[in-house]
Parts: sequence; structure tokens; C-alpha cells
Amino acid sequence: MVDLSLGQLGSGSILLALVLALYAAVTGMAGAWRRDARLLTSARLAAGAVFLAMTSAVLVMEAALLSDDFTVKYVAEHSRIASPVWVKVVTLWAALEGSILLWGWLLTGYTAILAVTAPNSTLRPWALAIMQLAQIFFIGVSALVANPFSIVPNPPLDGPGPNPLLQNHWMMSVHPVLLYLGFVGLTVPFAFAMSALITRRPGSEWMTLTRRWTLTGWGFLTAGIVAGGWWSYEVLGWGGYWAWDPVENVSFMPWLTATAFIHSVQVQERRRMLKAWNVLLITLTFALSILGTFLIRSGIISSVHAFGDGPVGPVFLGFFLVIMVSAFGLIALRWDQIRDRAELDSVVSREGSFLTGNVLFLAMAFAILLGTLFPLIVEALTAEKVTVGAPFFDQVTLPIWLLIFLLMGIGPLLPWRRAEEQSLKRNLAWLAGAFLVSGGLAFALGMRKVYPLATVALAGYNFTSLGLLITGALHPRIRLSKRSPVAIFKSYAFENRRRFGSMIVHSGVIVVALGVMASSGYRVDEQLRLDFGTSVPFRGYDLTAVDRFMERTPGRISAGVVVEVWQRGRLVTTLRPRTNVFGQNPQTISTPAVLYTPKWDLYLNLASSIGPDQEFVVIRAVQSPLITWIWIGGLIVALGTAYALSPQTRQHRTVRGEEAART
Amino acid sequence: MKRLSYGIAGIAVLIIAGLLIYRSLNASLVYFILPNEYAQQPGEYQGRRLRLGGIVETDSVRFDNESLQLTFMVTDSLQRYPVHHRGSPPELFKENTGVVVEGSFNDGVFISDNLLVKHSEVYEPPPPGESVDVEALKDSLQ
Repeated sequence: MVDLSLGQLGSGSILLALVLALYAAVTGMAGAWRRDARLLTSARLAAGAVFLAMTSAVLVMEAALLSDDFTVKYVAEHSRIASPVWVKVVTLWAALEGSILLWGWLLTGYTAILAVTAPNSTLRPWALAIMQLAQIFFIGVSALVANPFSIVPNPPLDGPGPNPLLQNHWMMSVHPVLLYLGFVGLTVPFAFAMSALITRRPGSEWMTLTRRWTLTGWGFLTAGIVAGGWWSYEVLGWGGYWAWDPVENVSFMPWLTATAFIHSVQVQERRRMLKAWNVLLITLTFALSILGTFLIRSGIISSVHAFGDGPVGPVFLGFFLVIMVSAFGLIALRWDQIRDRAELDSVVSREGSFLTGNVLFLAMAFAILLGTLFPLIVEALTAEKVTVGAPFFDQVTLPIWLLIFLLMGIGPLLPWRRAEEQSLKRNLAWLAGAFLVSGGLAFALGMRKVYPLATVALAGYNFTSLGLLITGALHPRIRLSKRSPVAIFKSYAFENRRRFGSMIVHSGVIVVALGVMASSGYRVDEQLRLDFGTSVPFRGYDLTAVDRFMERTPGRISAGVVVEVWQRGRLVTTLRPRTNVFGQNPQTISTPAVLYTPKWDLYLNLASSIGPDQEFVVIRAVQSPLITWIWIGGLIVALGTAYALSPQTRQHRTVRGEEAART
Repeated sequence: MKRLSYGIAGIAVLIIAGLLIYRSLNASLVYFILPNEYAQQPGEYQGRRLRLGGIVETDSVRFDNESLQLTFMVTDSLQRYPVHHRGSPPELFKENTGVVVEGSFNDGVFISDNLLVKHSEVYEPPPPGESVDVEALKDSLQ
């Protein structure tokens, strides 16, 4: 019997997956072309086999990481014996090759699930074929360009471990997986859209079939972005969560186009309009997720968490171009069928507001893309080295956000086609009243900055809009029924999951907006010198450094101070900001300590070294009002998405087809 | 007619948006320069937000415990400028290492609010008396 090493086993699994994926794609396309049911069934079975082969590759990598097998290149370069088990497990996605392996694995998983569960329709064969083409790309990169299983001829005794920033927080085990689940989930509607163009069925069938996939993907992407923000907050030490770093921007751009897509598909479902627009949006969403990977991984844009350069960048750029050219080629080829024949009846209508919102989302995505790429353009033209500062992104996106919040309140209240004047006026009066009252209240409480004031006013306006939506829906039901209003509300929320889920999501968005506004508009950031034993006032607190400490865990050495936080003579809590060194890596990583409260966070980060003979430490103290509500709002958005996706009870399932056309 | 007016409105919106974006993009560009580049045209960079790169000059580092003010000279061996940074020196900050400070010039003094230590492996400070390769220095700090 031949003794196989883990590296050979892993490479073998990937190669097997590649061969199977090629077989699946070729058979699938041939079957779709010749309408051969046997070939199609074979391709669907092959999708399951591809997934199994990739699962085996992932398991082998985990085995190599957990058993410290430094003959495997990825393990030798990114793992370390002393790391705790959870760090070894998540090291799979702590660097480039492993991330691509994970992305590919998730994609094959989705393809396999789709092959089994997607209802048999005219669209399915080509949609599966396109998923299979996409997975060939990812598996191919893993097999040929960035093989994590390459064998190291002279294996080291120990490795350097993953990037210290990544082993510093458990959030790192969640955030990338959520993002990839989002990107992969949004591949499904893209595949179906392409299939709809190929098979000349550009109606709303493709979006109805993939609605759950789209929402799931969007929900994961949203959760991934919020989780990434929280990770930055807890790790990077400046008390913020979003710095308009390229790596953040490239995850945000597909989110914007996906959000636009979720809204505009409803226009097509209801009004048979925006066919080409919807195909365009989902194409951009998919393409931007690939472009983002290229921008970050190629090293052409310097970013906080760049993985460095390599041959992977150009390959992703090539894939991006292939997607764009073939998708736009298809759109051009089928232009006659997807051109809109219906015209907008009135801008003041549900579809009018959705369309305007779409333009705003797309404009924001474009501005962010421009800001992200601008340093490249300037360097190419003038050889000057520049970065685009956060002020640009703030200046451009904040006004667009305010307009979007304005539409978010009024849009769902408008009927399709054309608003009836009387109810429009009544609703507008309520909304304007709420806007003025909440804005006035904020002004009376001492807020003077324009954007925060506008955000508070729009929050009141939007909550009123949600109230109007619910009362508007419940009022006729209450009049016609003898049941209690509570029971009617329950059954309304239960029967209209998509609609009610969207209301939950929108309320979560408002909560996030309030958190972002308050924490960035009213943040206090100071450097404090704390002499041991002497209390220093900071924003109503008294901070006393009482002690220093040293901690040694396998793989990490930490040093920090114990700071007592007093408020009005009462000890509130004890915070322990520290700095860490991981193994041989000279980089020190600080771990801030945070007191979370609903009103504001008190965030302490060590700003100086703590020598044993030094009688003081310097602390960066940040107070951010309402910042916790960003994470709570993100959770509300995720829960609302899950609610909209939750399966209907049995009696409602029979009418799902009609409901699809109605909501 | 309707189409034409939509088209004109659309183009007008695009032009206005484009101008606004261009203006704020231009205003928020942060140039990355070395001391000698500033010395060549101080007028152009006056008051602008900059990222200034260089080496921390030997024997120039002072830290005031009371005001938490860090001062040092940053040099590319052609030109040198004093830097005032509010806050204590970061862990890896020491003489003769590469740094990038972010802020702006005020009367020949660079007022920094962000200090990054670049412990680059590519760049080696030259032995005393020899001149540096400025381009290599800039690349190693970027």
C-alpha cells in the first residue's frame, strides 16, 4: 500500500474535484443544449461528487492544520504549533490560498444543494451549468495557481502562525465565512439570470425561483459586513469600526448593488418592468465580488489587511473580465426581449421610488469604486502616490444615505402605478410632522450638527412610516373581523412574512443609522496619562490605573494595566486593556477594553509601553455614543431577513404561488 | 418628448454629480511625500493633509510626559523637518526606523495626528556619510 501524505491527499482531492467539475459543466451544457435528460441527471449527480471531493480537500487541510503537518505549504506558512485549537481551525481562512479553498468549497456546496433541490424548470439546466463554470474557476485556482497543498521539501519545525491581527479575536472565525456565504449565495440568482437570457425566458421566473437564495445571500453579506465592523472595533484600537479601507469598500459595493437588486426585482414581479436593469444589477453584484478579490489580493491597492501579491490577482481580473464581457454580450444579444416596453406611469409611485432608490444605491457604489480606484489612476498618470481620505467617502455617501432614508419612509407607503392624491397627502402630513417633531426635539436637546440632526429627524419619520404601514394594513382587517387587534396583528405578521420581514429589516437599518450618526458625530477621543493610583476624570468617569499585569498563554504573551472605572463615587467596572505579542512575530497587537452601555461605550486602549519601572501609562480613551446600537441594529436586520425567509406553515404554502405575484 | 426630457434631466444630474465628486475627491486626496519633495514646493502642500514618510533622526526624539507631546525630526537625508505628534510613542517607535506621519505642515513644523511605524525589511538605512536612494526609501515606506 502506498503511504500518502496529507499534501498529496489534498492536492489529489482538488484535482479530482476539478476533473469532476469539468465533467459536470461539459455534460450539463451538452445536456442543456440537446435537452438530454440523461446527461442533465448525470451533471446533477456530478455536482454532488464535486462537493464531496472539495469537502475532502477542506477536511484534509483541517487535519494538516490540527496535526501541525509542516510539509504542507499552507500550514508551514500560516500555522504554528503553539496556537490554540480554534485558531488552527480558522487558519483555513486566515490567508489567501485557504480563503479561496473555502470559497470554492462553499460554492460547490451551494451548487450541490441547488442540483438536488431546485425545482425542475426550463431554467435549471443552464443555471446549474453556470454555477459549475464558476466553481471550475475557484477549484482551478486552488489546483493550479494557489495550491495550499504544495509540498515543502524541507519542512520547518514550526511556522510563524497566522497574521497576529487575525488570531486576536474570535470574531475572525465568523466574519469571513459570513462574507463568502453572502458572495456565494448571490451567485445563484446571477446563474439563473444568465440562464433566463440563454433560454430566452427573461420574465420574472428566474427571480421568483431564486428569491430565497438572493435574500439568504444578502442576509449573510450584511451580517458579514457588520461582523467585520465589530471585529475592527474590538481589534484595531482606534475606537472606530469603518475606515473606508479598500478591503471594506470592496465588500460594501456588492452589498449596495445587491440591495438595489432586492428592491428592483419587486418592480419586475409586479409591473414587468426593469428586466434589463435587474440582469445588470445581479451581474454587477457578482462581478464586483470578484473584482474586489482582485483589488485586495493582487497587492495593487495597499490595504490594512492585504494578503500580499501573487499570481492570484491577474487570474481574478481575467475572470472578472470574462464575466463582464459574456454577461453584457448576452444582454446585448437578447436586448430585444429584455427592453422595457411599459413606461413609468408616475414617478410618485412604488416603482418610481424603488427606481430612484436604485439609482442612488448604484451612484453610491460608483462613487466608492471611483474613490477606491482613484489612487491607481493618479499614480498611473502622474506617478504621485496618493490615498483618498475618509472625508471623500463621507462627503459623497452621507447625502445619498439621507436621500435613501427619505425614500425608505415614503416608498413602501406609495401604491403601485400612481399614488392617489388624498391618501398621499395624509401620509405626507404624518411623515412631515414626525420629521419636524423629532428633528425639533433633537435640536432642543442641544444637537446642532446638520447630519446628525437630519438623521434623527429621518429616524422619527421612518418609524412613523412603519407605524402607518402597519396601521394601514391592520385597520380594514380590524373593522371586518371580530378578533382582537393583537390576534389580527399576529396573523398579519404571520401571513405576510416577506412584507413584515422587510419592515423589521428597515427598522434595523434605522437603528444602525442612529448608531453610526451618534458614534461618529459625537465621539470624544483623548490621550490620557494615568499615574498609578491617581484618578483621572474623563467624560463623567474617573479612571484609576491600579495595577499592571502580565499573562502567558501558549502562543501569546500579553501585558496590560488594570483600570478601575468609577462614576459618582461608585465602582462601575474594571477594564484591562493590553498589548499582545504572538510567537516570534515582532508586531505588537493591542486589545482594547470596552465598557458597553446602551448610552455610550467607554473604550480604552493602551497607547504606550508599560515598563516595570514606569510610574504611569498613556491610554487612548474614546467615548462613542450609541455605538452598540450598530451591532444591535445589524442583528435586527439579520433577524428580519431570517423572518422573511422562514417557511410558511402548511396551509399557507399552497397559496405561495399567488402570494409571489401579490406582494 | 417625455423621453427627451428624462434624458436631459439624467445628463444634468450626472454632470452635477460628477462635478461634486471631482471637487470632493480633489479636496480629500492625501499625498504621500518625503521631506525633500515638500522642500521643493512647500506652497503647493501648505495646509493640505499629507502623509510624510522618512526616517526618525538619531538623538532627536523627545517625549513630554506632562503634555503627552512627542517631537522628533523626520529625514530622508536630503531634508529634515520637525514633527509634533500628540500622543505617546508607539511600541516599535525608535530612532533610525521608518515612519509615516499623517497631518499637515504649519510654519515648517509637521503637526501629526497619526503615526505609523514601518519596520520594513526591504529598506536598510545607509551607513553614515553615504546618500540614500530616495526612491527606494519611498517604496519601502509605502
